[in-house]
Amino acid sequence: MRTPRLLRPLPLAAAIAAVAANARADSGVGVDTWRANKLDPTAGATVEGCDARGTSWLEAGGHRTPTGNLYACPPPSPATADHGAWTTSGILSVGAVATGGDDGNALWNRYVDWDGGIVLALLAFEAERAADGSYASVRASRISDDDEYYQAVFGRAGSYKVQAFLRDMPNLVTNTAKPIWNGVGTNHLTLPAGYAAGASTPDAIAGLSAATPERTLGVTREKQGLGFSVYLTPQWTAYANATDEQRHGARPFGGPFFFNFPFPDNGGVLETVKPIDDSTVNLSGGFRYAGTTWRMEFGYSGSFYRDRYTRYTYEMPFALAPLVPGAVSAPLTTGQFATEPDNDWHNLKAAFTRKLPLNGELSITASGGRMSQDDTLIPPVACAGVFGIGLDGNLQTGPQNPYLYDCANWNTPDALSRRSADMRIDTSLLDARMVLQPGADLTLRGGLRHEREDYRNVYLAYNPLTGQYGYVSENGSQGSVVPGESGIWDPTDPSAITRIRSLPLDMQTTEANIGADWKVGARDTLGATLAFSRYEPNHRERGTVDDGSIKLSWTNRALDWLTLRANYTYLHQDGDRYDYDPYDFTYSISLPGFVAPPNGVPAHTVDALRKYDVASRSEHKLDLMATFMPRDDMTVSASLRGDFNDYDADLGRKGYDTLGATVQWEWQPAPGSNASVYYAYDRSKLRMANINEINDGGSNPSIGGNTYVDIGRWWADDTQRNHNAGVVLAHAFGRVRLDASWNYLHARGTTDYRFASPLALAWADTVIGDGAGGGAFPAMTYRVNSFSVGLHIPLHERVALRVFDLYERGRISDWHYLGFATTHAIDHRVYTDGGPQGYDANLVGVLLDVRL
Amino acid sequence: MTAIERVIRILLGGALLAAPLAHASDDLIDLRDAPPVRGDAVAGKAKAAVCSACHGPLGVAVVPTFPNLAGQKADYLYWRLVTFKRAGDADSPMTAQVAHLDDAAMRDLAAWFASLEPAAGTNGAAGMPGATIYRDGDPARGVPPCQGCHGLDARARVGADDAARARLYPVLRGQHAAYLADRLEDLATHPPHTSTAHVMAPIARTLDAASIEAITHWLEAGAP
Repeated sequence: MRTPRLLRPLPLAAAIAAVAANARADSGVGVDTWRANKLDPTAGATVEGCDARGTSWLEAGGHRTPTGNLYACPPPSPATADHGAWTTSGILSVGAVATGGDDGNALWNRYVDWDGGIVLALLAFEAERAADGSYASVRASRISDDDEYYQAVFGRAGSYKVQAFLRDMPNLVTNTAKPIWNGVGTNHLTLPAGYAAGASTPDAIAGLSAATPERTLGVTREKQGLGFSVYLTPQWTAYANATDEQRHGARPFGGPFFFNFPFPDNGGVLETVKPIDDSTVNLSGGFRYAGTTWRMEFGYSGSFYRDRYTRYTYEMPFALAPLVPGAVSAPLTTGQFATEPDNDWHNLKAAFTRKLPLNGELSITASGGRMSQDDTLIPPVACAGVFGIGLDGNLQTGPQNPYLYDCANWNTPDALSRRSADMRIDTSLLDARMVLQPGADLTLRGGLRHEREDYRNVYLAYNPLTGQYGYVSENGSQGSVVPGESGIWDPTDPSAITRIRSLPLDMQTTEANIGADWKVGARDTLGATLAFSRYEPNHRERGTVDDGSIKLSWTNRALDWLTLRANYTYLHQDGDRYDYDPYDFTYSISLPGFVAPPNGVPAHTVDALRKYDVASRSEHKLDLMATFMPRDDMTVSASLRGDFNDYDADLGRKGYDTLGATVQWEWQPAPGSNASVYYAYDRSKLRMANINEINDGGSNPSIGGNTYVDIGRWWADDTQRNHNAGVVLAHAFGRVRLDASWNYLHARGTTDYRFASPLALAWADTVIGDGAGGGAFPAMTYRVNSFSVGLHIPLHERVALRVFDLYERGRISDWHYLGFATTHAIDHRVYTDGGPQGYDANLVGVLLDVRL
Repeated sequence: MTAIERVIRILLGGALLAAPLAHASDDLIDLRDAPPVRGDAVAGKAKAAVCSACHGPLGVAVVPTFPNLAGQKADYLYWRLVTFKRAGDADSPMTAQVAHLDDAAMRDLAAWFASLEPAAGTNGAAGMPGATIYRDGDPARGVPPCQGCHGLDARARVGADDAARARLYPVLRGQHAAYLADRLEDLATHPPHTSTAHVMAPIARTLDAASIEAITHWLEAGAP
């Protein structure tokens, strides 16, 4: 799967060879055009400085956006050199960086690989030939092996353009992983020698975990692409783009072998390590037409995902035990996960835009797509021997042991109703929009949109070897602990309830909107938009969900130094009758031989529950924004926004409110000098309620019935508060530039809960008493302070020295990982990731900027 | 300097006082905020005798490579004189003429020539190809419409506001074609000395010889 590094420049070479000398191109078309990294997140802007001459030869002074914000100082024109007909310019920025403190920390290294040592901060070189508009450019940066990019572009203005790039980007997931298995990064995780699968003790595995050194887990993305466009005529353009992204690495993942919390010394809750080794090829191509009256596009897009592995397996360290006295559990040793399936996506699109009278425009877009995957299906289990329970005390399959299954009938592709997925979703879209501007003061707009997703197949979990139906649950472990819970239905166990069929989620959405913006005099602009949307999903709780909304907006510029904007939206969502259980057909309940249990079919869920995406709700949303211009060189802006959602639900999401405010002061006293201070605060509150089933065999779906007794009710409020503040300073002392910044982020999330009784909780061993209770989980906090300071010192007309330092201090508290400082293995639970850690880290660097 | 500026300068400047680097020199004349030019036209008339040798007694030149000055904007004329004086180009006949003019004299001369009746043109402009380029530009070649800055009637735009550019962009109607062609070549091939020249220079570079001939002859003929 992995392309050898030496071969990766091939797309560029191929591009150069492929371009006809007299072809033409659209310079606006390209692939992945933004190139940046953490050393230079502004893609070169920071090394370019500021052109004191400003943004325009037409007017002096700083300029502002239509809403009143100051534009940043533009970079200076490049220093050029003439070489015959060609004019060249460029910059080379090389130097060294060094890190200190907790520089191995995963949060510090998120999306960057500070390897230390020599770095190529930026190489940018451009050549232009004015005589015919030919151009070529190269752009590169390299922080380390896994953090680099290289890009080449060439073409001729109004004729053709070719672009090629390579890019590697790291993503360190954790630096505190202690995987107990060998083979991390492969599709086969095995326990070390001396540790028997299915027969190790918790103490032995805890010892193994403790002795395992901490290591990093992460994923590197390597992407290469090629883009090409050509003007066929002054109006017609053809374009083609191709990219291939390969991901390599490993990350923490799950590994279920049934509950352990309620069953000490039983089950298995494993955090395994999933291998990442895949490739995604994206293709696009088409034709564009841009005339004076018509614009058109006919395009194809495709995406092709391929995973090196179909599945990965892992060894289970612990033995399982039956809950039934006298019985014996199958000795399961191996679990498995399917990886994401290889899949293809194709989409054809045609778009037409035509100018209309009244300074208007009509756009119609039609597209059709197909998502399909036909990957090889993996067998239901990866075990050898038997799985399930020997009720008679031994592991011989037969009528005497109805809940014991022969692995040979389930660990082979022959156990599947078909060998490959053969799944497909067809998509279609029709979108029409019209804008009319009958006068300078009035804009009218409207739109219609219709979208469909049609599922073309379903999978039936039927085993032709045994005539049984169902998904084997949790690698066979659940049925090896609890008799009859293997997830298998057959005529001899006709009341077993298990999932047997995939769920097709066909849907269609129809939307319409109409609106107008009216400029009332020179100072005020009013706007109104009415929108309606109908969502019609299949096999969901509602067949029709309708949204109606009205949005009002007001912009005021009554004062030269102030712009005020206000938006208010009211939305109401409703629909037809809510069916709390539309999923019967995906369960064994729908099979012809199914026999309801004596107490009736257990309720699928409580009928008062409303899933939030199809629940009835009302929403009020308000945005207020003000931009003050107290001086020509100063801007103060402030905003306040609120979004309040009230759900018509006794159970489920009951409310979700957000409130945020920002204030910012910006000052640009002179070209190259600026200062800004900002602060943002937002909070959100999510209110939920639900009920635990007290009798999981009860058939009454209503609150207060034999399943959902009132004492099973619980409520939870999730509150999130974020503070973000910062100061940015930049000043030019002559030709020496100083920049400094401080950024502060503090996120705090709390979850408060209360319950009618301990029976409302899934696992309540720490709850004392019988009555109602409540409390709160420890706060989840994330607090980062970042300080940076840099000096840019010109040494020569073309040479400058940049010295910079970045210090960052992070503090994080996540109760999910509490206790892992002591051990990662508790009873039959084994955790790989030790969780995020606080850090104090520093980066210092020296770069020499040379204008070429 | 405001208090905040002083504080920041003290805080940030102390460590860098020793930096021995000065601002780069820049001889560009930035006219984007230039105040209106005011002069005494009567006094200018008294000083204009030497000008009439090339530019005509009433500001209309006989030799087509010398520009008509009559009716030209005072701001434009003044800053052209300043530019000649600063440039000191030995090859330019204007260098010697402006060498001894003080600032008041240049303002007065500008006011005098601006007050004169402009040349009417040679007539017969209708149907000439330059009209199309002047009005619509040549989008395929990246040429913007001339009328955007110089006015639909080539008498220069009068800005609704007091923007300097409304006073600085020259009147073109009735100007000699030969002079205009020379001026466009000069703009296309020499570094701009003023912010206004920065606007025109890239446009001049996009005009080919045929377009220049068409536009300049249409303007000379009297434009619309």
